[in-house]
Amino acid sequence: MKIFWVVALILVIARIGWRISRLIRKNQPGVRPIKAETNKEPSQHQRNLFTIWVFAKISVRRYFRDRLALFFTVAFPLIFLLVFGSLSKGNSVTFHVGLINQSSSAFSQEFVGDINNSKSFNVDKTVTTLAIAKDKMSKSEIDATIVLPAEFGVPKDSIPSGQAQIYYDENNVQAAQTIGSVVQGQLEGVNTQLVKIKPPFSVKNVETNSGGLSKLDYTVSGLLGFSIIGLGIFGPVNYFPEMKKQGVLRRLHITPLRVWQFFVSSVLSNAVIGLFSIAIMIIVAAALFGFKMVGNYFELAAFITLGILCIFGIGLAIGGWARNERQAAPLANVIVFPMMFLSGTFFPRYAMPVWLQHVSAYLPLTPVIDGIRMIATEGKHLTQIGPQLGWVAVWTIIIYAVAFRVFRWE
Amino acid sequence: MSVILEVDNLQKSYGGRKVVKGISFDVAQGEVFGILGPNGAGKTTTLEMIETLREIDGGHARINGIDVEKQPQKIRYMIGVQTQSTAFMDKVKLTELLEQQAAAYGERVDTHELLRDVNLDDKADSYIENLSGGQKQRFSIAAALVHNPTVFFMDEPTTGLDPKARRNLWELVQKINQKGKGTTIILTTHYMEEAEVLCDRVAIMDEGKIVAMDTPADLVQKLLKKGFKKARKVEQANLEDVFLNLTGKELGR
Repeated sequence: MKIFWVVALILVIARIGWRISRLIRKNQPGVRPIKAETNKEPSQHQRNLFTIWVFAKISVRRYFRDRLALFFTVAFPLIFLLVFGSLSKGNSVTFHVGLINQSSSAFSQEFVGDINNSKSFNVDKTVTTLAIAKDKMSKSEIDATIVLPAEFGVPKDSIPSGQAQIYYDENNVQAAQTIGSVVQGQLEGVNTQLVKIKPPFSVKNVETNSGGLSKLDYTVSGLLGFSIIGLGIFGPVNYFPEMKKQGVLRRLHITPLRVWQFFVSSVLSNAVIGLFSIAIMIIVAAALFGFKMVGNYFELAAFITLGILCIFGIGLAIGGWARNERQAAPLANVIVFPMMFLSGTFFPRYAMPVWLQHVSAYLPLTPVIDGIRMIATEGKHLTQIGPQLGWVAVWTIIIYAVAFRVFRWE
Repeated sequence: MSVILEVDNLQKSYGGRKVVKGISFDVAQGEVFGILGPNGAGKTTTLEMIETLREIDGGHARINGIDVEKQPQKIRYMIGVQTQSTAFMDKVKLTELLEQQAAAYGERVDTHELLRDVNLDDKADSYIENLSGGQKQRFSIAAALVHNPTVFFMDEPTTGLDPKARRNLWELVQKINQKGKGTTIILTTHYMEEAEVLCDRVAIMDEGKIVAMDTPADLVQKLLKKGFKKARKVEQANLEDVFLNLTGKELGR
């Protein structure tokens, strides 16, 4: 139900905003000659800004009229967010375990109930014998199996006692250890109640909200990176060759329009569209998956704009260089797919082998995704993410140097 | 009349094959100058060199004394080029397309007045993809004239138009040529009738060279002086007249 309300709210707001803008525009006089406002001729600088402004404005308007483009840039990343978000939903870790109770004592029945109700465990009910458990563990369908032996919980000296056993496969040592300590913790709680002794030393886990990163935080920042790639690379790679084929760029080439003016206006419109699409993703991630944005919104927007500038340059370079789709598409795939997977778009980079992490750290998308995550989920300020800012800036300079060099109007 | 465009021994070759073999001509201010010739004669390449789109391999082209090769940016402010009607993006209103076109020159224009000039003011809020062939052609003329160019280039402006739309466009070309200070127009065409109606002078190109250049009437006179006689008796009306007579007497729209 939640998703319905979020989507409905976004649609209503967008619709009202559109209506209002129509009303305002209708009340304006249609004609505003450039010279009427000031009597002197506008300077070259003013003319340049005016040119860039009009080009950016019209391409943003055109984008919002294009339903297919809207789908691919807003709905498509949202679908990924829904899929990956549900996979990494919630902050707590859940283990899939088998539970075999061989005891008939009242205590063991109660303990089984506790395990079943525990948030940490997802009990696979089909595991009834150790043989099934071993088979499932070897296939990694369950992480470990908790076995309560026959004497478990049988009163000895008027106090129930026993030893729970954790069986695990050798490929799942870490999970088994964690499961062991969770079960240990639960039994310890029982122990202190039964023996009524306050243990002199203890460990207490304190949750830190600010520093802790959940898998969702990585997923969301990665998907924002994916959205930037989709808009910034696949967008221009598709429509630049199209504009060349139709002669749109040839027409502009006949005018005094400079390549840099065209680039700046394209970056501007892409940034507006990108921020719009990303804002929707953050709203949905917050509403549906409890994504917490702890950073400063302006800093996040500023950094994302820089990220869009950088990544869009790759699209400009490929689309601007290619004479047709047959040149653009393969080159884009060769560049985008490795970057997409290595920079942590779908899988967090910490899960990669160390040598690969070292390599992928230098890809242009990596500092963009890392920076977004650091601001959005770690609450860092722009001053604290110097390395990320630096790398994005370096890549931006390199990418645009190439893009200017290889650009062709036809 | 002062010379606005000077072309002097202009040459172009693609991969060793000469496409334009040193052509020269002058066009006077306010003239309508036609370049005729079969496909592959080098008409389009010649225009593209003058329009700063192609590098000039040899010779010179000057507009109002400014060298095209040396100062292309200055030339771009002085020329207008009618482009293919596909060269406009879809889902953009006609007024917005004109606004954008003018912004490329750093200008803000009265888009409605420009549309009125080409009889499209009732289509101001339409997208280009919803116009008919003739309307698209007229729109591309409006777009090419947003900055009041001194010289206006049209490459086969009426190819693919039905006779009615063609006559309609001729009137528009004549209007542009006469309006205000008289824009100089340089056009290429396959249609001899079009050249006769519109052009003050024509150059006939073949295999990269100009083989004849004069007013249409004088070209015909020269041919007759050589003793040329048409095989068939000239008819008082032709099929085109029949078509026009049946489909639309008024040529205004």
